[in-house]
Amino acid sequence: MPGARLAIVTGKGGVGKTTVAAALARAAAQEGRRVLVVEIASPGRMASVLDVDELRSDPLEVHPHLHAVALDEARALEHLVDGLLPLRFLSRQLLSSETFRIVAAAVPGILEIAILAQVEEWMRARSGRRGGYDLVILDAPASGHSVPLLSSPRTLSGLAAIGPLGDTVRRISRCLTDPRRTMAFVVAIPEEWAVAEAVELVDSLRGELAVPVARPVLNATFPRRFSKKDEKLLDEAGRNGTIDPDLLIAGRYFLQRRKSAQKQGKALRKATGLKPVELPFVFSGTMTWEDLDPVSEALRAGLAA
Amino acid sequence: MIERLLEGARVVVCLGPGGVGKTTTAAALAVAGAQRGRRVAVLTVDPAARLKDALELPEEPGRFHRIPLPEGTPGTLDAILLDAKGLFDELVRRLAPNPDLAENVLRNPVYRNVAGAFAGSDAYMALEQLLDIDADQSFDLIVVDTPPASHALELFDAPERILALLNSRALEYLAEPVRILGVATSRFTRGILSAVLEGLERMTGLSLLGDISSLATDFADVAPAFRKRAEAIHTLMRRVDTRYVLLASPDPHGAQDTVQFAGNIDEVGIDLDAVVVNRVLEVPTDELPAPSSDPVAVPSGKGWSATLARNLVTCSRELEILQSSQRRVIDSLRAGLADVRRDGARGEIPEPMWLELPALFPAPTTLEQIQRLARGFAAPPELAMEWG
Repeated sequence: MPGARLAIVTGKGGVGKTTVAAALARAAAQEGRRVLVVEIASPGRMASVLDVDELRSDPLEVHPHLHAVALDEARALEHLVDGLLPLRFLSRQLLSSETFRIVAAAVPGILEIAILAQVEEWMRARSGRRGGYDLVILDAPASGHSVPLLSSPRTLSGLAAIGPLGDTVRRISRCLTDPRRTMAFVVAIPEEWAVAEAVELVDSLRGELAVPVARPVLNATFPRRFSKKDEKLLDEAGRNGTIDPDLLIAGRYFLQRRKSAQKQGKALRKATGLKPVELPFVFSGTMTWEDLDPVSEALRAGLAA
Repeated sequence: MIERLLEGARVVVCLGPGGVGKTTTAAALAVAGAQRGRRVAVLTVDPAARLKDALELPEEPGRFHRIPLPEGTPGTLDAILLDAKGLFDELVRRLAPNPDLAENVLRNPVYRNVAGAFAGSDAYMALEQLLDIDADQSFDLIVVDTPPASHALELFDAPERILALLNSRALEYLAEPVRILGVATSRFTRGILSAVLEGLERMTGLSLLGDISSLATDFADVAPAFRKRAEAIHTLMRRVDTRYVLLASPDPHGAQDTVQFAGNIDEVGIDLDAVVVNRVLEVPTDELPAPSSDPVAVPSGKGWSATLARNLVTCSRELEILQSSQRRVIDSLRAGLADVRRDGARGEIPEPMWLELPALFPAPTTLEQIQRLARGFAAPPELAMEWG
């Protein structure tokens, strides 16, 4: 299969999409695969997880085998129009007009197609000394914006059946729906709101969008440290006041968090029919490239299982 | 804190980056208002399913619904769920000089997409909705939950953006799209551009130019009314009885986002009245037995294993790490916000009230839990932790 595979990481805002995208990138790069991470939504975050000052609008190698880029939407749109129009100076003149921007805004999905076209171009970059990737990871915007992004080929294909735009749209659509090339990773945390959103997202990916879905990712889960028997003993000691209060509080807190991880994991599994991959909560309070290691290990093990 | 925040306030706007608990806090503030005898309206945006159930919000957005509060609550609470799409349609109908024109606009195939560009976002629609609620004198306190925005300006710029668009010549140009070609200097480029535009039309399958042209012509008649509303929103947002509460989370990434958010708010000349840090892992010590002298006193009775003891100690250590990292985040948040106040374009700005709310697990989703959170505004320590 020529070209790279595409992993789309999405989920509700605040569930750690960027962390999961970076962990996936770390796991793949450590296996020696050439990886490109594409950030489109929250500028700055990916750079800090990857331990670099900033990402540029051109791919940059940030760790061995690992490249990262911050996609510039305006540039992607220019690039798309450049490719569609016969003469570059014409597209410049068109794009420089404020009015054209509004006209462009009127064409549903044109900006989204521009973003996907840019991603797809990176996927097709030739292998060799420069450029060429095995895996492109898209740190997609929060689910509210992900669905319009991923449905843009559908929106536009009805309108642009012919011509160069039609070809681009069809190529992107084929790529997004091909399980040998594309896989969407839906991320949630063990909170009801996040799981509910993840379920909706999996449904629309599998339904109307026809994008292949990987096992959902349940991020930031607390470890299981206590058995039912332990819990009873802890309760008893709490009632009798025979335990250090700090330990009691800590024990109760972990029990509570573990319970909600289990409950939400079950809910996610039941609603999607897919067993979630659990990623551990990171206690360091920071999230740097090194802190990512246990997360990326868990992701690798979970996906291999 | 709540007394000071609500005193003389008619509108309370909850702001903050996504995922910090805006909707829940807005609901709790609204309940707190009702507990103090106010007739409260709360505008919520995209609440979690269980919160929606808790507030017994009807499936149908865009309508007020009375929230049943416990007997003896002196005030009232009405909730409305933002219906951005429906509201824009309704405004077009209401503001159009005649019904035929409104229908022309609404039926136009590019209206929905252009409407998106005009309106900016849900944020703008929330403000339009606020303007309507503000006109309703049966409420004396309005609490507004704002849509998740990565940038505060999405909200504050919205009235300016629509004003700029309405004042610009874009509408004129759109009414006669061939004028786009005015940018072309020679007859040659003009000819090619004209062909390109036709090509674009073919390419997209829309009768783009015709549709846009008629939409712009029709919309020009509605524009003055929208312009007036945008001005009214601008004024409302800067009224003395409009208060702003910035929500923050003590997560490592949270502080950075929140400080940036506060900087944006400062730039548009709006003062924050309160900062609420949500989900703080504070351990209440007053309700628990006095600490034993031995810091790792683990019972050694029947069933207690060394593993269990070790696990408890690990949990305790990790919880401490979490708490101290939260404390660091909160400190840097405080420092960052102080910098914004000091270095802001407008000189000295009064320090906002500061409140830290403890973490509740699971997150509050029932009306009863929200009432408890509301009581927490008055006396946070009473709230304690719900882990037990």
